[in-house]
Amino acid sequence: MIDLLNINIYGDVTLYNFLFAVLVTFIAVLLARIITRNLRRVLTDKLKKDQLELLLKSIYFGILLIAFLSISPLLGINLSGLLVAGGILGIIIGFASQSVVSNLVSGIFLLAEKPVKIGDQIEVEGVRGIVEDVNILSTIIRTYDGLYVRVPNDKLFASNIVNFSANVARRFEYVVGISYRSDINKAIELIKKVIEDHPFVLKNPEPLIFVDELGESSVNVSIRAWTPTSEWFNVRIELLQKIKESFDENGIEIPFPQRVIWFGEDEKES
Amino acid sequence: MYGSYDLGELSIKNEYFRIEIERRGEWFFYTRESENEKKERVLGAERGKIIVTPVEPVNLPKEITNYMEIKLKSPIVIGPGDSKVVYLKFPVEIGVFIAWRRASEVLDIIGLNKPKYTLYGEPKNGVICRYSESEVYRSLPNSNPLKESVMRLRIMNGSGEWIEVNNIVFDVFGMKMYYDDFLVFCDAEMKCISKKVAETQFYDSPLRKGMKKALELYVARRIIMPKGKFTMEWGL
Repeated sequence: MIDLLNINIYGDVTLYNFLFAVLVTFIAVLLARIITRNLRRVLTDKLKKDQLELLLKSIYFGILLIAFLSISPLLGINLSGLLVAGGILGIIIGFASQSVVSNLVSGIFLLAEKPVKIGDQIEVEGVRGIVEDVNILSTIIRTYDGLYVRVPNDKLFASNIVNFSANVARRFEYVVGISYRSDINKAIELIKKVIEDHPFVLKNPEPLIFVDELGESSVNVSIRAWTPTSEWFNVRIELLQKIKESFDENGIEIPFPQRVIWFGEDEKES
Repeated sequence: MYGSYDLGELSIKNEYFRIEIERRGEWFFYTRESENEKKERVLGAERGKIIVTPVEPVNLPKEITNYMEIKLKSPIVIGPGDSKVVYLKFPVEIGVFIAWRRASEVLDIIGLNKPKYTLYGEPKNGVICRYSESEVYRSLPNSNPLKESVMRLRIMNGSGEWIEVNNIVFDVFGMKMYYDDFLVFCDAEMKCISKKVAETQFYDSPLRKGMKKALELYVARRIIMPKGKFTMEWGL
């Protein structure tokens, strides 16, 4: 049995060395999984999701890297030799896996620059949704209708990214048309009250409400207000409904498009 | 009304709401009724304490921030190197917790004020804050402990210039509130470093003997590493 373990597989690497390396790798993977699983359990409600994922990935790959460095002498891998041979090898690998390396490098830059984080709402390459994961080769987006989209990191890195969650506050804008018969001052007061009563329409930056245009059928009032980014969508839909309800209760008319038509006959008669 | 009660049949009633805990078979049922709202929880516990305590005003209508801004109705002008103590009022919410040994869980948060939020700083790197306004009082003002807390604020001007203070922002995860039957109180400090920069923090001290310490929500929710101090970088 001992003789069997001492058989050389290649170079100076014996079967024993090889099996020991496999065992260390297996233990390292197991250990990395156990540690990250337990850390996830403990830290889920204490860290932000993107920070947690970054921490867990760093720990997982850190353990694997340590394991690799410790078993490399057993497998006859001379890391300093690899560095010397790296030039030629690098060119070969580079040509063979240009796309993978490009994604990998882009992924590292994305992790460093952080234009997007897990949980952000973004638009990239015409895809809108929530960032589910930022991996080393690709970024996973869940669209608003629940589709899974994988965007390669080199594409993400070279594209214009719109990040709807990057800032803590975000503005929305409505234009509400009021009939020429209605009292415009009263309408503006009602809008101000609706805005003041909503907790998540921010006090500062101050909301702007003003007559924007004397339109063909209506006096157009523009409303610009800021909300916390996390509440933007809810506030935007709630507020418009409340403005309409307030107008209905107070007799402010929102007109249909209308046109006054003069007939030539009428003019002749008068 | 604030205080600690043994888990069992319980009824707390005031002009704003009614809290009841009743046993139905093996279960306890928590009910809170106020003018426009009714909330119920089923308690799967045999022992414990029900703690009713004032909490940081950042939970309603939902928790989106841990910062609070108090806008002063009359700005305070402080001379170079001077230090003044003023009293302010700010809204509080009422937290109902169930606790056993060192673990506690929020059952309900009751708010008797209309919440409003604001942005302190720029949209890119500012902070969303619970907004309130306060008169500036030179002595301890009267207050309704179910609705508001009184803050003793020491403002120190450590700069060599006159400074006008219009608003104050705090990280409420460092807030230490004390209460008795008549008052909810907290002690705070604002160190002005320049016309635009100040540091704010809370102190862990009651106004008078016999006041009880309020349960801190971030402790109850086991949120780690509250900083407590906040640096106001976007103007005072």
